[in-house]
Amino acid sequence: MITVRGLHKSYGVAPLFEGLSFQVERGEAVVLIGPSGSGKSTILRCINGLETFDRGEITVAGIELHSINTKRPSREDAERIRKVRLKLGMVFQQFNLFPHMTVLQNVTEAPVRVLGMGRTDAEAEARGFLRQINLEGKADSYPAQLSGGEQQRVAIARALAMRPEAMLFDEPTSSLDPEMAGEVLSVIRRLVAEGMTTMIATHEMGFAREAAGRVIVFDKGAIIETGPPSQIFTSPKVPRTREFLNRVLGRF
Amino acid sequence: MTPCGGFVYLKTIMGRFLKFLSLLIGIGVIIYVAAPHKPKEGALEKIRKRGYLLWGADAEGGAPYVFPDPENPSKLIGFEVDLANAIAGELGVKAVQSQNAWDSLIPALERGDFDFAMNGIEITRKRKERVLFSAPYYVYTEQLVVRRDDAAIKSVADLKGKKAGTLSGTVAQDILMGMGGVKVKIYSGQVEPYQDLAIGRLDAVLMDLPIAAYYAKPDPRLKYAGPPVGEGLYAIALRKNDTQLKKRLDEILAKLYRTGELQRIYEKWGLWNSKQDKLAAFFKNPGTETLDESRSAPIKNFFPMLLKGAGVTVLISVSSMALAITLGLMLTMLRLYAGPPFDWLATGYIEVYRGTPLLIQLYILYYGLPNIGISLNPVMAAFLGLGMNYAAYESELYRAGINAVPYGQMEAALSLGMTRGLAVKRVILPQAVKIALPGITNDFIALFKDSSLVSVIAMVELTKTYSMLAASTLRFFQLGIITALLYFCMSYPLSLLARRLEKRLKKDRR
Repeated sequence: MITVRGLHKSYGVAPLFEGLSFQVERGEAVVLIGPSGSGKSTILRCINGLETFDRGEITVAGIELHSINTKRPSREDAERIRKVRLKLGMVFQQFNLFPHMTVLQNVTEAPVRVLGMGRTDAEAEARGFLRQINLEGKADSYPAQLSGGEQQRVAIARALAMRPEAMLFDEPTSSLDPEMAGEVLSVIRRLVAEGMTTMIATHEMGFAREAAGRVIVFDKGAIIETGPPSQIFTSPKVPRTREFLNRVLGRF
Repeated sequence: MTPCGGFVYLKTIMGRFLKFLSLLIGIGVIIYVAAPHKPKEGALEKIRKRGYLLWGADAEGGAPYVFPDPENPSKLIGFEVDLANAIAGELGVKAVQSQNAWDSLIPALERGDFDFAMNGIEITRKRKERVLFSAPYYVYTEQLVVRRDDAAIKSVADLKGKKAGTLSGTVAQDILMGMGGVKVKIYSGQVEPYQDLAIGRLDAVLMDLPIAAYYAKPDPRLKYAGPPVGEGLYAIALRKNDTQLKKRLDEILAKLYRTGELQRIYEKWGLWNSKQDKLAAFFKNPGTETLDESRSAPIKNFFPMLLKGAGVTVLISVSSMALAITLGLMLTMLRLYAGPPFDWLATGYIEVYRGTPLLIQLYILYYGLPNIGISLNPVMAAFLGLGMNYAAYESELYRAGINAVPYGQMEAALSLGMTRGLAVKRVILPQAVKIALPGITNDFIALFKDSSLVSVIAMVELTKTYSMLAASTLRFFQLGIITALLYFCMSYPLSLLARRLEKRLKKDRR
């Protein structure tokens, strides 16, 4: 479903990725963990075409992204990136709901404007998604009237309304308090259970342990270890993984 | 005081702004009462003590009266300069000119800015109510000028239905307006009417003979039509209570006439003619000037003009704001999203239009473009001038608004599969406009008032109407307050509207 091969990316002279490769199968739930700045968010943004890269290739559902002219992508490249984005749903740490639209408008905007769906159909579907996340009653509210957890759940509904083949979560709970994080994580957990292909960059180790099919550990732009959560969390092979886990889980 | 009628009337239309109005009127009354009531005795004494005579005149485009010497622009020349020097010589002092716009020479005189005003000021009944006139020093006539190839207009009588230009606040203006059926266009400079005549924007120009003699006669494209009309008198304007100074000036003028000095000056400037023989009578019996005063239109005829002027102001402001908004948006889009070379073209446009005075832009549009064969009518020039200038400011406001929208908004829109264009239109712009709205309102109100600048291109809008009416009725204060109120009545609802709009757009921030 998603393949990354030989990816190189640098910020100015500071290299981040130097030949990164991995693969995500359809229906798989992959959790990316690692210290801040290790590249787990950046790789999600590269896959979605929000960041450019220098060398290597990324394939999403058969569409290939390659390194492009960063400043001014050609029309062809821009269209290719857009096609990839149509296959993927993206959820951001800061929610990024459209503040000038109601919850319902946030969810129906792209289906209507991008997919050309009829407004009534789109609204009926949107209400279905809102029901799933228990926010049907907030359809006519504006984002600023919602709590952070509610906003993030709407952001998930907004992404799902585009019927993506995979969902990318970029630290979806990092700006939420634990209670609200719980609401959001349970929505993601349900998606995973339904078989949605997901990639989640997160610091929620508990969630990673129970919901992930596979855990990828990032450090300084490289994958240092990958495996099922049972193995990563109980008997990590790489010392740096152990150090990282000890640090975030507070055990010694 | 008559303006109360106007105030009461305005109060009733603007019931809810009553407080503002009474405040404004209060301030006005205080200014009026507190205005110094000009000088005591001894203007002559003051001049002697000071060592020089200060006389008011407008040297801007003032040939052949008072104007900068083309060969040495720091020096003023003209027949009135010669006359002032002669008068000062008789008083035993030197003459120094004090620069003042012609339209407001009399208010400036009353304010005490100079000892007297001498600048082709015609003796009229209305002016006599305000100032003291010396004996006349020149008998002027009005000369009609047409294009050389024009055979249809032979005299003033042929002007019905034609476009005729003249100078604001002059007797020629009264003559033209009093005739009825003439499309009168009012200018504040003396060069522009002849230019517009030459390129066909006007059919004829009626102005004082000295002006025609200097500007129109040498121009191969123009010719005199018919004999001079509307004989009148130029005299020196003094403050009402400077009778002593008037007496002295009358003596001096009589002496200059007697000795032939006056004739020598006028001959030097090609202004001497047999009409000047009439001056002798005035010098013999000072104070008996029988005025050949031109028919003057009564003030109530002018009153609807203020409202018409306000209408023109609204029309110009609204249409050029529409242009500014549209063009500004295009510039922003080019600058932010189009890439080279469009982005730097847009940036260049903005910098040039922001970095040069609107007045210069208007001059170039209206008076400059005909030099390269493009002749815009005043409405078009005003619309384009204001609109294109304000587009630069609008564009910067939009850009600031767009930059204030968090980048995450664009990323979220893109990640939903929107194209950049759609994202800008549906997600970025609506938020940016909300941020920019207070600035846009501000700009609109500023444009609204800047629209008074288009009077330089012969557009008669509210300010121009005011200065015209004030110059011919000399009621600068009353008409000024009424005009200011008219502007306020138009711009205040605009702020209210903007405030309501802002509130509505803020509904998502409850």
